[in-house]
Parts: sequence; structure tokens; C-alpha cells
Amino acid sequence: MGERSLLNQLIDALRCLPGVGPKSAQRIAFYLLERDRDGGSRLARIMADAMTRIGRCSRCRTLTESELCELCANPNRDDALLCVVEQPSEVVAIEQATDYRGRYFVLGGRLSPLDGIGPDELGLAALESRLRDERLREVILAISPTVEGGATAHFIGDRAARHGVKITRIAHGVPLGGELEYVDGGTLALAFAGRRDL
Amino acid sequence: MPRQDRLFLAFVLHRRDYGNTSLLLDILGSGQGRFPAIAKGARRPRQPASALLQPFQPLWLAVAGRGEVRTLTRVEGAGPPIPLQGRALLGGFYLNELLLRLLGRHDPQDPLFAFYQSALSRLAEDADLETRLRQFELRLLDELGYGVRLDQVAEDGAPVLADRLYTYEREHGVRHASERAAGPRLSGATLLALTNGERLADGQRREARVLLREILAPHLGARPLKSRELYQRWFGSGAIAESPQRRDPTTARPVDSEEPC
Repeated sequence: MGERSLLNQLIDALRCLPGVGPKSAQRIAFYLLERDRDGGSRLARIMADAMTRIGRCSRCRTLTESELCELCANPNRDDALLCVVEQPSEVVAIEQATDYRGRYFVLGGRLSPLDGIGPDELGLAALESRLRDERLREVILAISPTVEGGATAHFIGDRAARHGVKITRIAHGVPLGGELEYVDGGTLALAFAGRRDL
Repeated sequence: MPRQDRLFLAFVLHRRDYGNTSLLLDILGSGQGRFPAIAKGARRPRQPASALLQPFQPLWLAVAGRGEVRTLTRVEGAGPPIPLQGRALLGGFYLNELLLRLLGRHDPQDPLFAFYQSALSRLAEDADLETRLRQFELRLLDELGYGVRLDQVAEDGAPVLADRLYTYEREHGVRHASERAAGPRLSGATLLALTNGERLADGQRREARVLLREILAPHLGARPLKSRELYQRWFGSGAIAESPQRRDPTTARPVDSEEPC
């Protein structure tokens, strides 16, 4: 087998998938070649298509192959609610888990000066023009509770306050089924501070 | 080489994702200096270490390994995170960026750790962000061996007087102000306030900021400081932090239109 045979190239290429090391890459390559060439061809076609055609929604910056994503184009959603998330995968998670019916804005990360991620990289100018131009009743921040997430939330909070928009953030607390004793101190402190009436 | 599995006090200066489930951290440890370490599996779901391994959270850590990059073996909180918000938070990022840019690896700097810790606490508790940042910068330069004397004139050793004007030149240090001198001009009072660690008055903040930029510039190189840029973008124009609902202790004073870093 030549050093750069197609088979080796395939195994190498598969390793770009998250969680796939050399061993799994080899297993997947042999599986597709020996047992499921149709599936493999289909994967290759769709993969090539997706990589070239999927871009970002011009309004919320989530992933879509159209100018506007389905959620932004849907006329039945509440225009006065805007949920700000970090990643497109979180839009899907919120859609599946909650009955939220408003719009979204995807930052694509969080403010992290030491990694060179500033307001431009996160499309915060686009978010600000939405804060200014749209009649928003509430902006909901669904951003990770990390130090950088906190900086991002604070930054957006400042901008929203400037435009007189009410701003909220999702609750931080104890996971369902979690036992208090095993929850880390910081989370427990936040959960305690954010307690509410029964 | 530290004995393995011994706990030491530490702060995370910076973290980034590493592999699928791990974190690559830049750590400042008491008695350890600055060093990189991997927290294996810290990004798996329900890993309390992930909540702890963040900047500005005092930690007890133990590490294993002898190479350049260590592996964390224990992580415990050493108290609540230092509550930095808004301007103070950006000040904290700025301190971390300075340390990442200026501090070599595996070079134990014990006094620096203690000073970093107290600088963070002070950022959290009072509004005088600029004085704190300038003091940290001077102290960091001292610890790194780049310290400059600000209380005497370099050429003739004359003591700096509060009511006189001086200039600072990279090659020469503090000089008597003159027409042909390059470099920033500043008052003796500012130089003395910096030397004595006193609170900077309103007019002195700008002078001190320009001076420290000049002193730091050759050590930082051409790459701009990212936290400084973010500060400019956030607070620079439009004074957005001044809306009454969200005023915090660090923004309650009139806004200096320029960044403090």
C-alpha cells in the first residue's frame, strides 16, 4: 500500500471529525468501503454540497443555505423577543427544549480579548442595529456563565440599556436531578442568589 | 522542580479548548511562575473543574509531569471568584494579557503572584482603576528587571520635584523638560505619585498612562494589546456605561474619554 494511497488519504481526512482518532478513522473508512459504499457516496455528495452552500443568515447569523434562515423567515414568530446565543447549535437546543417563540441572534463566540475576539468578530454591530431599529420588548441572553460570557453579557447589556430595551439572562443554577452536595460552590452560590418565590 | 501532588495557590490567566474534552491553561502559580497545563476531560458534561478553571478564580492546584506542559491532577477552589465587572473586568483581562506577553515560562516569581492577587482584589473593590493598573505595570517591570527610576533625573541624579516638568525618553529615562526632548512630557507630581504608589489625580492619569505606554512599548513589541482595543471599543466613544440603570461603582465617576490601559 503506497504511502499516500487513497485509502490513507481517506483515513487521514476522517480524522478531522470531532472525537475521531486514527483507530476510529480506520474503522470508519473500512466500514464505508466494505459495507456501505452507497452511504459513503451520499455522505461525500452532501458533505461537499453543505461545505460550499451553507452560509450565515443575514439577520441572525445562524447557519443556513438561504439568505434568511427558517426561523427568521417565519412570520409567526414574535418579533419583539430576541434571544442571543453563542453558537448555532444552541438555537437548536433551545428550539427543542423550550416553548420560546421569538427570534434569535447568534454571536459565534464570546468576547475574549486575549484570543483576539472582539465586538467585530461577534457581529455586535449587527446586533446593535437590531437593538436600535427593531421594536424589541425583551432581549434574552443565553450565554455561557464563564468569565468571557459574563463580559459579553455585560457589553450587550450596556448597549441594550442605551437603546432602552429590557434585558434578561437565563437562570444559572442546579441541574435537574443534580444533588446539591455535588454542585460546585460557584453554581450553588448563583442558584441561591437567584432563588424565587414558590 | 516542585514535588508532585503538592497543592499550591494559583490563577488561570487564560484558557482555551484542547482536543475534544480538555482545556489548555496558562497558569500563574505561587512559587511556580507562569506555566502551561492541561486539564484532561474538564469540558465533559458535569465537570465541576470547568466552572473553577477560569480567570480570576483563586485555586488550589496540583500538577504532574516534568515536560513543558504539565497535567493538572487536582483542582479545588480557594475561595469565591474575584468579582470583576465592566471596567474592572477589562482591567483584569489587561493584567492577564500583560503577564502572558511579558512573563517567561517556568520562572518562579513569588512576589509577583502575591501582587497580582492583591491587584485583582483592589480592582474589584474600588473605582480607581487607573492607579491600580499603573502600579501593577510598574511592579511587573520591576520584577522582570526592567524597572525604571521615576523619582530622579537620569543625567544628573537630581531628585524629581513636584512642581517641575520632565520628559521621559526610552533610551535615557527621566530628563529635564526641554524643547528638543522627544517622548512624553509630564509633571514631577505625576512621577512622584507613581513612585510612591499614591492615588493619581484626574490630570495625572493621562500623563501616567502615556508614560507607562512608552515604558512598556519596547517590551511588548509591535503586536497591539487586545484588551486595550476592547476597552477602546467598549468605553471609548459614546460613553455607553453612563445609563443610570446599569451604573456600577467603577463607572459612577465621570468618564475619561480614553481607555485606562
